[in-house]
Amino acid sequence: MAEYFTSRGLPVPAELSRNPLVHWRRWLVILGTIAILYIGVRLADIDTSRANPEYFAGVLRQLFQPDWGVLWPQNEFETFWDGALGLMIVTIFLGIVATAIAVVIALPLSFLGARNIMAGNPLTNAIYVAIRLLFTILRSIDVLILVILALTLFGLGSASGILAIAIHTIGVIGKLYSEAIEGIDPGPAEAITATGANKLQVIWAAIVPQIVNPFISFTIYRLDTSVRLAPVIGLVGGGGIGQILFQNIQLLNYHASGTIIFLIIVTVAVMDFVSAQVRKKLV
Amino acid sequence: MAALVSVKDLVKIYATGTRALDGITLDFHRGEFIVLIGLSGSGKSTLLRCINRLVDPTSGTVIFDGTDITAAKGAELRRIRRRIGMIFQQFNLVKRSSVFTNVLAGRLGYRSTWRTFVGQPSRDDVALAFENLGRVGIIEKAFVRADALSGGQQQRVGIARALMQKPELMLADEPVASLDPATSHSVMKYLEEINKKDGITVICSLHFLSLARRYGTRVIALNGGRVAFDGLPADIDERRFKEIYGEDAVEVEIGLGRAETA
Repeated sequence: MAEYFTSRGLPVPAELSRNPLVHWRRWLVILGTIAILYIGVRLADIDTSRANPEYFAGVLRQLFQPDWGVLWPQNEFETFWDGALGLMIVTIFLGIVATAIAVVIALPLSFLGARNIMAGNPLTNAIYVAIRLLFTILRSIDVLILVILALTLFGLGSASGILAIAIHTIGVIGKLYSEAIEGIDPGPAEAITATGANKLQVIWAAIVPQIVNPFISFTIYRLDTSVRLAPVIGLVGGGGIGQILFQNIQLLNYHASGTIIFLIIVTVAVMDFVSAQVRKKLV
Repeated sequence: MAALVSVKDLVKIYATGTRALDGITLDFHRGEFIVLIGLSGSGKSTLLRCINRLVDPTSGTVIFDGTDITAAKGAELRRIRRRIGMIFQQFNLVKRSSVFTNVLAGRLGYRSTWRTFVGQPSRDDVALAFENLGRVGIIEKAFVRADALSGGQQQRVGIARALMQKPELMLADEPVASLDPATSHSVMKYLEEINKKDGITVICSLHFLSLARRYGTRVIALNGGRVAFDGLPADIDERRFKEIYGEDAVEVEIGLGRAETA
């Protein structure tokens, strides 16, 4: 490329005269990555000496030989809701209830966490920063840790699971809502302000119509994710289908475990498909 | 006759340091059709927005019908804004809402907050909305989504929305800059009509001098945040034109084409 300039007697731009191969930043990145990986492998002490492929193959075989009986009540003392199928349905509703709680709390907070609504005075600006920080904190705590915390309040069962998913979801959905509010076209809000409307009227008439569809879309997306999280919650005692999956794994009952995992996969796949279809309609 | 709007020593310096208005003193009288001209960045938009306080001036005063807008706060400010309609270059309609809902929103300044959330619009407001839609000739589009309309139609919705306020003053911030010439005239004619028939004072910023000459009863040119010309449209000759727009500028005619009817 430099010939274009040299052949015409023009000064060659500095960017072209630099040799990219000896550029030190490039080498720093490559060497740094190698160094981090080397240190990681040494520190992690990856021990594969106790691997037992035969046993694993046996488990895998059992997982793929389903025991459909686990879907239903196991004895005369259990009802439909104690079988895996019943618990799967309970788990879906666990996710739905948790999401609903999160939406009710996140909805008003998200307006306080939108910069374009809160800008203009130091107090509201401080509220904006506090709300966004709250969302970030809630979002950054893993659901499993939240369940373990919630267990100390509600004990074993779905109350703990719902609380944990709800808290995490507030953090995620609050951020998504706030960003949707920040992304609106400010023109209509300006026009409605000019008519002599107050702030709440401006939000209602100019902002709400612009965010209804994104909000519904985000809520369905989170509903999908919450239902997906719900079985995992059960593994640590948050109720639902995860709990009997955990029991069966501990009892080395791999036929039943495989069936439950299959049930969860089918449910999540259906949720995923339905949620994608609904959201596509909304855009 | 006392001025409807009296602007005195108005200065606006934005947070970025831009001196958008550099000491503007002007009186606007009832019934005038004032056209603001000037290059982009000359302060036209800022001046218009200082009149209804969408922009807070740095110093100076704006008196509207005897009330100091620059000192007004809260409910008092909103009561003054109610009397000043505004239309915008980008129309600023709520695109997803129906034309009717958009027009009705012009009445919000007269409604209590809780009545905004619950309950139906009053019979009078509904009648007024249809009446104003009829005036701008798009009553049959009332329940169509606003973004399904053409640019000219959207601006007419904007005019109808502003008329809902029963304003005494209409601010128009480059209302035809996004429209083609024929549609521009159609929109300007509606502004002319509300000025002549309803006696609403109009302050309208425009890019085309030909439009200013055709519709304005008075032309004010801004240059670098100062008044460069204030007088009759006919008095802007070649020399004045160069003073306002710079030596390299050439005047472009915007033909009086067929007005849009659709």
